[in-house]
Amino acid sequence: MTDDVPAAPGNLSAARHLAQDDVGIVLPRDFTHPGPFAFKSGQTIQGFTLRYETYGALNATRDNAVLICHALSGDHHCAGWHSPSDRKPGWWNNLIGPGKAVDTRRFFVICANVLGGCQGSTGPSSTDPATGSPYGIRFPFVTIPDMVNAQKLLLDHLGVAELHAVMGGSMGGMTALMFAMEFPQLTRRQIILASTANESAQAIAFNEVGRQAIMQDPAWNGGDYPRDGGPRVGLAIARMMAHITYLSDAGMDRKFGRRKRESAGGEAYTFDAQFEVESYLRHQGQSFINRFDANSYLYITRAIDQFDPARAAGSLEQAVAGVQAESLVVGFASDWLFPPEQNRAIALALLRAGKRASYAELATDLGHDSFLLESEDLYALISGFLERDETYAFDFAI
Amino acid sequence: MSRPVEKRTVDMRVIGDWVEPGARVLDLGCGRGELMAYLVQARQVSATGVDLDFEHISACVRRGLSAYQGDMTAFMRAFPDGHFDRVVCSRTIHELNDPAGVVLEALRVGSKVTVGFVNHGFWKNRLGVLFSGRKIRNEVYTTAWHESRPANPLTIADFEAFCREKSVRVVRRAHLLGDWRTPCSFLPNLLAGYALYDLTRR
Repeated sequence: MTDDVPAAPGNLSAARHLAQDDVGIVLPRDFTHPGPFAFKSGQTIQGFTLRYETYGALNATRDNAVLICHALSGDHHCAGWHSPSDRKPGWWNNLIGPGKAVDTRRFFVICANVLGGCQGSTGPSSTDPATGSPYGIRFPFVTIPDMVNAQKLLLDHLGVAELHAVMGGSMGGMTALMFAMEFPQLTRRQIILASTANESAQAIAFNEVGRQAIMQDPAWNGGDYPRDGGPRVGLAIARMMAHITYLSDAGMDRKFGRRKRESAGGEAYTFDAQFEVESYLRHQGQSFINRFDANSYLYITRAIDQFDPARAAGSLEQAVAGVQAESLVVGFASDWLFPPEQNRAIALALLRAGKRASYAELATDLGHDSFLLESEDLYALISGFLERDETYAFDFAI
Repeated sequence: MSRPVEKRTVDMRVIGDWVEPGARVLDLGCGRGELMAYLVQARQVSATGVDLDFEHISACVRRGLSAYQGDMTAFMRAFPDGHFDRVVCSRTIHELNDPAGVVLEALRVGSKVTVGFVNHGFWKNRLGVLFSGRKIRNEVYTTAWHESRPANPLTIADFEAFCREKSVRVVRRAHLLGDWRTPCSFLPNLLAGYALYDLTRR
C-alpha cells in the first residue's frame, strides 16, 4: 500500500478533523495479552501487545463491530487524525466516518496493527523480555492465522460478540478471509478487496527481491541492529520496488509521465533524480524507512507469501466450507499484483462451496492501490453490502 | 402498474410457477436482481446472478443478493456438472455472442434451464417490417438501430429448431399472446409475443 492519502490543503488542514463526516481526533490504544501465545510455527511468546483504534460505539447487543484489516505497510490508524496539525488522516479516512460507506454512527469500527508489525504492536523490533534487546529474527515466524488469532483476543477484550463485518484490501483481504474461516460463528460478513487466496510466483518474486535488498544490506547484520539503525538502504529499495507494483503503467503515466523535476536542468548528464517519478520513488523509500522496521517487512511479506488456505485443505472450496459469512469480493481491473482473476477465484470458490458471495470489479487505472480509491461506486457497493436496503430489496418495478 | 412494468413481471409469474421452492438458481444476465429478489421472496430459492455491469451487481448487493460480475460462460465453467437446480436466462439470449454455447453450458451446470425471450416472429413485428421497411420500433423494441445494443432477434420457430438440432429436451413451454399474459396455443410463432422454455439434457 502506498502512502498516497491525500494531504489536506495547508490552510484548511486545521479544520479537516472537524468535518461532519470525519471521526475527528482519535487516540490509539494498546491491548496487552498477558498470557503465552502460541504461533502456528509452534513457537510461543510470553504475551503480546496490539495497538489499535476504535471509532463509533459498540451497541448493547455487541454485534455492530466492523473489523478493518490493514495491508503490508498499513497500520491501526485507518481513520481520523491524531492531532489537528496532522498532514494526513488515517489511511482509509475516505471510507470510514459518520455517514460514510462504513458509517461510524452505526458501526463500531476496530483496526489493529498486526502481530509482527512495527507500529506499536509486538513484532521483531519489540524487546524480548528474555534478553532485554529486540527480538530481531528470533521473533517467531508470523502467519496470517497468527495475526487473526491475536486480533480475536482483542475482540474478546473489547466484548465483541459478533462481527457485523470484517474487511480489508490486499493482505487485509487475506486477513478478512482467514477470520471468516477461523471464526465462522463470529463473522457475519466479509469484504475482500484487491486480494488473493494464494499469491502468484510473480508476487512472491517481488517480495523476495524486497527481502534480498534488506538482507544483502550489510547493516541488516543478520537481523540484529539497533532501533535507530538497520538496513535503511535495503529497506528503502525494497519499498521503492514494491511501490511500483502497487501502481499501474497507465496510472504512473498519468501521474508522472516523462515530466522532469523543475530543478533538473535541460540535458543533465547525471544520475541525480531527473524525472519526477524518480524523486517520487526516492521520497517514498526515504519516508518508509522512518516509519517501518526492516525485520517486520521480512516477517510480514513472508506471511503473505505463505498464505495458501487451499493447500492445507486440498482446495479453496474445502478451505471455505465452514464459512458462514456473506462475502463481497472486489477486484480492480488495473491491479496486476493481485489481479482480478485471483479475486474472482475467491468468490467462485465460495459460491462452489454453496456460500453467499458476490464479485464486483472496478475499472480504474490506479493498480493494486485502487482499493483506496475515492470512488462513489465503491462506497455505494460497500455501504449497500453492509446495510442491505430493505425497501429496495423487494421493489420489483425498477 | 404501467404497461411496461407489467410486462417485466412476465418472467416472475411464469418462472415463479416453474421453479421448485428452495432450489439453487443461477440467473444469467441478472440485471438489478428483480427476478432473483422475487424468487427468493416467493419461492425461497438460493439465487446467484451473473452480469457484466458493475451498477447491476451493486444493485443486487444492495438487495442482499449474490451476484458475480463477469462473463457468464466463464462463470459457468468454474462449476461442476449439475451444480445448480435451475439456470435462468431471461430476456438475455438475443444479446449473447454465443447463444448455443451458453445454453449448452447452462444445461451442463443446471438440471433445468429456463429461457425466456421476445418472439421476433410475432405478427405485429412482421407487419411492422413489411409496411415500414424499417427496424421495428415499439414498446418492446424501444430504440433506433443506431442506438441499440447488438442483438440477434429470434423467433419461436428458430428456438424450436435449435432445440431439435442440439437434442435439447423441452420439458414445458409457455407461449403468451401480445399482452404477455394470455396463453397462446394456436400458431404461436405468429401469434405469441413472448415465449418461455424449460429445458433439460436428453
